[in-house]
Amino acid sequence: MKIRHILLILTAFLGAALLVAVAFQIRDELLEYQTAERMVASNTVRERLLLGTDALANERSQTYVLLIGQKNEASGLMELRDVRRQVDDLLNTAEREITVTQASLSNTNSSLATVSRIRREIGTLRQQADRLLGPAEGVRGEQFAPRWFQEATRLVEELQSSRMTILQRERPLDPVLRTEANLRAFGAILSESIARNQALMSRALENSSEIGGLETDAISQNAGRAALAWELIDGQMVVPLSESVKAAVSKTHENYSSTFAPLQRSLLAALFGKVPPTLGPEEWYDLTGRTLSNIAVMQRELLRSTRERLEAELSRARRSVALWSALLLLGATAVLASILVVRRRVVRPLEGLSQAMLRLADNDLEISLPRLTRGDEIGAMNDALRVFKANAIQRQRTQNEKQVLHARLRDAYSQLRKDLEAAAVIQRTMLPPSARIDGVEYHGLFRPSSLIAGDTYNVVRRTDGAVGFFQVDVAGHGAAAALVSVACHHALSQAILTRTQGTPLEEIVVQINDDWPEDLPYFTMILGEIDSRSQRASIIQAGHPSPLVIRSDGTVEMIGEGGFPVGMLPAASYERLEFDLGPGDRLFIYSDGLVEAEDQAGEQFTEDRLCALVREAAAEPSAALLDKLDDVLRNWRGSETLDDDLSVLMLERSAERMPANAVH
Amino acid sequence: MLSTDLRNNILVVRVEEKRIDASKAPAFKDQMSQCIEAGQNQIVLDLSQVDFIDSSGLGALVSCLKRLGPRGSLAVAGATGAVSRLFTLTRMDRVFALHQSVDSAVEQLSA
Repeated sequence: MKIRHILLILTAFLGAALLVAVAFQIRDELLEYQTAERMVASNTVRERLLLGTDALANERSQTYVLLIGQKNEASGLMELRDVRRQVDDLLNTAEREITVTQASLSNTNSSLATVSRIRREIGTLRQQADRLLGPAEGVRGEQFAPRWFQEATRLVEELQSSRMTILQRERPLDPVLRTEANLRAFGAILSESIARNQALMSRALENSSEIGGLETDAISQNAGRAALAWELIDGQMVVPLSESVKAAVSKTHENYSSTFAPLQRSLLAALFGKVPPTLGPEEWYDLTGRTLSNIAVMQRELLRSTRERLEAELSRARRSVALWSALLLLGATAVLASILVVRRRVVRPLEGLSQAMLRLADNDLEISLPRLTRGDEIGAMNDALRVFKANAIQRQRTQNEKQVLHARLRDAYSQLRKDLEAAAVIQRTMLPPSARIDGVEYHGLFRPSSLIAGDTYNVVRRTDGAVGFFQVDVAGHGAAAALVSVACHHALSQAILTRTQGTPLEEIVVQINDDWPEDLPYFTMILGEIDSRSQRASIIQAGHPSPLVIRSDGTVEMIGEGGFPVGMLPAASYERLEFDLGPGDRLFIYSDGLVEAEDQAGEQFTEDRLCALVREAAAEPSAALLDKLDDVLRNWRGSETLDDDLSVLMLERSAERMPANAVH
Repeated sequence: MLSTDLRNNILVVRVEEKRIDASKAPAFKDQMSQCIEAGQNQIVLDLSQVDFIDSSGLGALVSCLKRLGPRGSLAVAGATGAVSRLFTLTRMDRVFALHQSVDSAVEQLSA
């Protein structure tokens, strides 16, 4: 998984968690808002129903007193019309409210059905009352009044209970709201009790003498219910209600206790004691009406308080929803912003760096690295990468230079080697191939330590019939020694050819030694001459190893005891060594590279081993002897290379004279 | 490669190598030259440690002798085996004063 995925998934996950939490909170708030809305709707409906109920109770009282003929019909009917219109208005409003709140309230259809049924029944009752109040029906109306009253009371109760049903369905959880609902319910009971007594007591006061026990009991029951309602109301006052509600309740209670309750008590006592009451029915009706309107004021105060509370709750819920929605929006924006910032400030630069690193690792130095001015880790990484790139470029440049230098060296070396190889070819062509001159056969072995050698040799036939020869070993080896050896080769060959007869051989060496430049390396040599007419030979040994003479009978002698090298000390003197070299006798001249050749352990080949080998192979022809010597030396060294140049020249006086076939 | 010791105003130079060949000769020559340039003209060269001298080594020895000039003397002590044979073969035994030991060489030079 790439780092961009980890970072983005992490950010997205955190953001999603935050958003889900906020969304849940919003859902709760929305539910609360809906509840509050429902409460408000329910309360509005109930408010209309409560006021409608009170108005209906009022209509009932008005109708009742008209029916019993207590009131002036003309003015009474006028008032009744007003009261009826009030009832209709309130119930109309209630119905409209129920319809409007259908969306938020449950089971509105049954409430609507109940209310419209009650309205139909009210209509029926009104028609009955209107018929009874007609001019012809004076007496029948009074008889019919109690039944009518009962019917109206049933409707009031039904309206009341429909209100309670709605309350039951949408019961508020807030204690104050609950208490206020309870207070309204008890207030309604109180109001209804007083309203009933308003009607019943009016009739009782009209003709107290005819009043029956049943009616008196009903009045007494209503009075008791009112007292109970007050007790219930007082019991609710422990809850912290608003001051205005408390004031309204206590004012109503005080009014009730100080005027209405004692009056009702004394009137009841008079009714029970069959004593004529002190108060007329109309005064009672008005007083009760005032008390009822006091209670209505209290109820309205309660309704107002509840409405305000519910509206406050609703607006709080609305604010809450708005707040949390704003938070949700803010959270979503923050999440989006974090993702963008992470992408832009972390993920993209990191990916860029990673790409650049991979390309640098592939030695791609063409990549462009931006100059970031940020001081964080990514900035530091970028700076480090720039340094890496600069180092890599430097390294590559150095490497290129090295390669160029290397190629130049290789070219120079190969040129040098070519030169040396050409020089080696030339040097080898200077050496005489195996041949026979004037009865002297000769063979050579030549092995330079590098391509060219400081060793050289030659065999030259003089015009006087003598055969001159030499072998030279210039001090050191390599190119300088080789060049000197070439110079020697030429000088000696010329000296042999141009020597005038009678000049001693040693004179040549003295001459060369005297003329030798001091800056050049010295050399050792054997310079010799074989007289083709006699059996004699002579040599000058100038610091060179003593040669071997292999007699035709196989015996091996070492001749010469040394002499000064040439070019080392000026004015050195040299001696000529003369010896017999009969037919079949061989002269074996070698450079010190032969006896000083070392094996792997550093042991030299030595003169002793050479003598032993030559003695052993003395019967073999010169070429075969040299081949064998070459093989033995290679085995001795254990490799094809040599530390010093090695050369051998073998000269043999033939048993019989042969015509010359080669001159070098 | 060389160790020096002054005896009776004679510088005894001991060669601490088994060979004086092409690879060692230049260094040998340089160090000897330094001794000579420091003013020493009576030198005993102790070759008792040396088993082998090649043509380059011999050239270096001779060049030291030349550098020392006619006023100085370079005696060789302790040359044996191949070294001794080389001296004989190249007649250097006639150029250098050869001694069996350092002591006899010092003695002879001081006399």
